[in-house]
Amino acid sequence: MPKLILRFDDRELTECAVGTHPVSIGRLPDNLLVIDNPAVSGRHARVYKEGNHYVLEDLKSTNGTFVNDKPVARHTLLEGDIIVVGKHNLVFTLKGGEQTEDHKQEEALPEIGGTMFLDTEKQKNLLSGLDRGRPSQVYDAVVPKTAIPTAQGRIGTIKVVAGNTGQSEYVLAAVTTMIGKADTAQIRLKGWFKPQVAAAIARKGEGFTITPMGGKVSVNGEKVSGRRELISGDMIEVGGLTLEFTLS
Amino acid sequence: MRLKVGAATSVGRVRPINEDAFLARPELGLFVVCDGMGGAAAGEVASQLAIETIAAHINGGTPPAGTQRGFQPRTALLGQAVESANRAIIARASGDAEHAGMGTTVVGMWLADGMASIAHVGDSRAYVSNQEGFEGLTADHSLVEAQVQAGLIDREQSLKSEQQNILLRALGRAPDVLVELGELLIAAGDQMLLCTDGLTRMVTDAELEAVLQRFRGDPQGACDHLIEQANNNGGPDNITAVVVEVQGTRLSGFFSRFKR
Repeated sequence: MPKLILRFDDRELTECAVGTHPVSIGRLPDNLLVIDNPAVSGRHARVYKEGNHYVLEDLKSTNGTFVNDKPVARHTLLEGDIIVVGKHNLVFTLKGGEQTEDHKQEEALPEIGGTMFLDTEKQKNLLSGLDRGRPSQVYDAVVPKTAIPTAQGRIGTIKVVAGNTGQSEYVLAAVTTMIGKADTAQIRLKGWFKPQVAAAIARKGEGFTITPMGGKVSVNGEKVSGRRELISGDMIEVGGLTLEFTLS
Repeated sequence: MRLKVGAATSVGRVRPINEDAFLARPELGLFVVCDGMGGAAAGEVASQLAIETIAAHINGGTPPAGTQRGFQPRTALLGQAVESANRAIIARASGDAEHAGMGTTVVGMWLADGMASIAHVGDSRAYVSNQEGFEGLTADHSLVEAQVQAGLIDREQSLKSEQQNILLRALGRAPDVLVELGELLIAAGDQMLLCTDGLTRMVTDAELEAVLQRFRGDPQGACDHLIEQANNNGGPDNITAVVVEVQGTRLSGFFSRFKR
């Protein structure tokens, strides 16, 4: 597989394989090949496959992209081309040493019954653009669809306006907050005939929803039957409690 | 909460053995799907070991008091069960050469009291079909998903990528696996699907949705049909599907808790 070898002062810093996906080059951490130097634009250039060739394209960078000392906007790369980006050199080579594409692929990614697993070191190489500058987040490159409370900026709060429960205010820190008599409920109902779980407040993306789970629930005087989105200032009545919801 | 459950697994049309494994324990509300890999002959050992360890942990375990990492105690316990499965696989793999290098993906769902706790590692997935539509509940821990999230490729390209089989997380690879957790409120009529990539790479999300709709009330029929569809499309990998349907009203579910 062709690759780009990043050099600075004749020192080899890293290399990046050029496969079917474009290699973005720039200062910003979301580039596949990150060059953290003020002379490099945030999104400086990219290299991609076009037919049987590999093309270098300057992305209107401030200081320009040079190949073999000539400024280029677009250039079809040849074996041994030296790309200059700021003070860094990138050497384009079609061969990874004497290895053919297949051999290199096998070495980089051991096959395990069809499914391959990347250990942390190899992940770092392949995701070099993703994790640069935030190494602890290598594993967190995949953003969960099910929201994690801390991942969202907004805070939901429940203020107890009327009724008998443990606290006068609850911060909705959990993904799911249960309201009921059960020990596991965060907002605890007291009394003989109260349901174990009357309702649940769930975080969904940026906001919160309330769903009746075994008790009567109303919001601003309207009975809730399914899932209902909560808006800041909503007054919730459930299990004898009156609760005010605030999103801040 | 009464559950109607279907489950099916197939070796597919190319692979010599089935390294997938599943667990369906409606009485516990626990469902797990694993896609084993690696080792001389150990992918199926890893997936089986994961399932047994998780079931034992849930069956004998006590949920922690209070929420953890912002998740309900039950969800936290499911996460711990998956972590213990990881340790069990590593312990077994380090014991003998035959099992060295084995690993597995996992997606587990534990349903109780109107809520589903979800835990996953790797590219086995969970979906829900409910009043609000059909939705994926898990984001694969795979290279292509990371590339999509980072904006390097779009979803369309990811489905054609040659790198789809590269995982970023799996059980059995490192002692401190990061288990992704989720929670979902469930109601009567909701359908949940757990499956391995042998299904999701051969059958599109739109088709999964259509099959769940068509086989509403017949989860076993849904599973059988999904497996058949994946095999008809080539069946290059092992295929596993578990479909769970929540039955009855919330009220009947509430009372059924006292009958156990």
